Amino acid sequence: MSDLFVIGAGLSGLMAAYTAARAGLRVQVVTKGLGSMHWAAGTVDVMGYTPEELSRPVQRPLEAIQALAHSHPEHPYVLLGSHQVQVALEEFTALMAELGLPYGGAGGFGALAHSTSGDNLLLPSAVGALRPAFLAPSAQLAGDMARPEPLLIVGFTGLRDFYPELIAENLAKQGFQARAAFLPLSLLTEQADRNNVHLAQALDLQARRLKLGGELKRLARAGERIGLPALLGLDDHAAALADLSAAAGAPIFEIPTLPPSVPGMRLYKALRARLWRMGVRIDVGLEGIGANVIAANGTAGRVQWVETATTTSRPLKHRAKAYLLATGGILGGGFDSDHTGRIWETVFDLPLTIPQARHQWFRPAFMDPAGHPVFNGGVAVNAAMQPVGADGQVLYANLWAAGGALAGADPIQQHSLEGLAIATGWAAGQAIVRALAQ
Amino acid sequence: MPMHTQSWESVGPSLDECIKCNICTSYCPVAEVTDKFHGPKYSGPQAQRFRENGQPQSPDHSVDYCSGCRVCNEVCPTGVRIAEINARARAQAAAEHGIPLRNRLLGRSDMLGKLGMIAPGLANWGMRQGFARSIAEGVLGISKHAQMPTWSREGTFASWLKRSAPNRLRSERKVVYYHGCSTMYYEPYVGKAAMAVFEHNGFEVVVPEQGCCGLPLLNNAEFPAAEKYHHHNLEWLTPYARQGYQIVGTSTSCTLTLKEEAPDMLDIHTPEARDLALAVWDIFEWLRELHAQGQMKTDFQPIDMVLPYHPPCQYRAHHIGSPVMDILPLIPGLDVRESHARCCGGAGTYVYKKEKYQIAMDVGQELFTWVDEQRPVTMTACTSETCRWHIESATKLPCRHPIEVLAAAYGLYDLEKRKLTKE
Repeated sequence: MSDLFVIGAGLSGLMAAYTAARAGLRVQVVTKGLGSMHWAAGTVDVMGYTPEELSRPVQRPLEAIQALAHSHPEHPYVLLGSHQVQVALEEFTALMAELGLPYGGAGGFGALAHSTSGDNLLLPSAVGALRPAFLAPSAQLAGDMARPEPLLIVGFTGLRDFYPELIAENLAKQGFQARAAFLPLSLLTEQADRNNVHLAQALDLQARRLKLGGELKRLARAGERIGLPALLGLDDHAAALADLSAAAGAPIFEIPTLPPSVPGMRLYKALRARLWRMGVRIDVGLEGIGANVIAANGTAGRVQWVETATTTSRPLKHRAKAYLLATGGILGGGFDSDHTGRIWETVFDLPLTIPQARHQWFRPAFMDPAGHPVFNGGVAVNAAMQPVGADGQVLYANLWAAGGALAGADPIQQHSLEGLAIATGWAAGQAIVRALAQ
Repeated sequence: MPMHTQSWESVGPSLDECIKCNICTSYCPVAEVTDKFHGPKYSGPQAQRFRENGQPQSPDHSVDYCSGCRVCNEVCPTGVRIAEINARARAQAAAEHGIPLRNRLLGRSDMLGKLGMIAPGLANWGMRQGFARSIAEGVLGISKHAQMPTWSREGTFASWLKRSAPNRLRSERKVVYYHGCSTMYYEPYVGKAAMAVFEHNGFEVVVPEQGCCGLPLLNNAEFPAAEKYHHHNLEWLTPYARQGYQIVGTSTSCTLTLKEEAPDMLDIHTPEARDLALAVWDIFEWLRELHAQGQMKTDFQPIDMVLPYHPPCQYRAHHIGSPVMDILPLIPGLDVRESHARCCGGAGTYVYKKEKYQIAMDVGQELFTWVDEQRPVTMTACTSETCRWHIESATKLPCRHPIEVLAAAYGLYDLEKRKLTKE
């Protein structure tokens, strides 16, 4: 039996698992499959847009979080308070520095308080739009559009879904000095039909990246920085980045590609390796399908066990002292729905703040600044990240929740997915450690 | 064309869950080392769109290079049954183009087992001869480098059962043992170790008539023959399931086939098949349950060694977590280390095929390197027989079934000599 049983291996689940395991708890993580980080850009978006101002990105996200207190009291950031969010982000940056995949902000690296100016980075996307992100892996930092250098965007002929001309043209339209160039894909591989991850693995070999670096040096004009698709090494990424920058003689940065996201996969693999070293078991392929609970009866109930699906109809029971729901929302598979508009949480059947009628899921305007109820709703929690009922009472004494499943935020619209995951995962982990110590 | 190759009943709905995220291709151990296989997404959900509705030709022949390890299913965030789609596509291609003699041979592990047991010494000797293997490679396409299993020199498991019948434990508590072909013809000692563990825990073991589970046939695209095998097992084993027996197996791939593969691939969703599937247990899954009820004996003798353990991909496909890692660490002194390698590369009969041997070795490198890092070690452990043989040949270290380790910890079994202490 473990102390903490985490359902979901996204950023919130792994952050909670790390927090609890570091405090000496025995932790087990199960996940239906791999997702979230593999789909995202590998950056830490804390608050990119506020519901009040969707046309302009947030400049200072931690201040924007403070402002939420009045307008969105139910937002998980508000429940935690901006100081807690900042502490969680500091824990994350310290962890990533230790793991050799350092994350920095607009002001650089190091302890968060000293490193970032408090400003969001503005990073070019794969179509040349600008994405606000608070923290990014070192490989993306030179892409910050606050920097003055002109940009050279380099793609590879035959590489799908990365078009340097499109990126450069869109950047130029926004007033930046940018141009595009192509290199042959054969610089990276002799094999046909490789995806981004395979190409990244090709650049784990030093000879290849030195060759590529030489070609980049030939292409770049003095003073330019070079943007490349995010495939600069997978397991030997830090060395790949250093070698390439040195050989090219110019600052190099990665532009996240369409999934699978190599920066996201690096993040997942780094966290996973750290958890393995702490003895945390991560079972991939185990899908939470239900739980046995002692129902609340005036006081909080208790979760007795969680069930995961097996190949037979004999579900597997998992018993632990504490349980963390980190299965995400609709995208992550934490919620499911049917054609009538009924929508439910898939493991504990927790109450959701989402309307149970399909016509109430969406507002008429696609880009409505108020967002859509179906994305804004979820599992309501208290300040300790414990799911609560409509009356605000804790439902189960040994259950916590974190990440995309939480109510009160629309992380896609607000560009806050990773910030929410890190802050609520860390906070839930801390709360669980405290609860089990009693 | 046989009917079942056109039916996509068990995989069809899951196909629509594919969001084209490519996570499967990113983790596929085969696509990583060769471009002969385009990866699970292309061969699976993508190509599948062209296989339906009576399309005349299977569009993607690279699917033949899928090893069937199921890593794609495991990492898929939305539950697409990619490996099953690929297995059915291989069967469809076989129906269109025919099945090579080699694959027909490799699919029949029971027949090969029986043939070799006519003169096991001679058969094993023949398998070691370079000229014989060169001929086998030239004529049949069986890789001359792949290590073949060795036929048992001590008779079959059944002959031992017969000899040792008077010594069997009689008890109110009974369990059915499914040994499979490898225990029968190649590794009877695995079966002996399992019997010893069952009996030590107070269970009388019933070993009813049973046949090959049919997995090698499914892997080699011979669905009609596999169907015949599965119907025999239903006939022989379902009555025990219905009497409330638990049917416990030592081969992870056999038990997976009885639980899921055969019914799903062959569309045999009868009450008989369901009752059998529900009664089948992997032996460590079963022991973990016994332990959870406080009924598993833990009178272990210490085993002081480091044991690298590889949970085969077939094992992970059971979705039962890692029961070996719930039980073996109970043995004092034993430092069990679980491998996180995706696949040993062997993938059943895959490694025996000339054109796939090198791929199998390249896929396994992740595991072999990890084992190397655990040295000094004297042996490794793995729950699947073909994986054990492949890991042994690549690492040059003996590879044991974890049940042999458990039997040894009970003091009932000699891990080195692979025999019962009272034999």
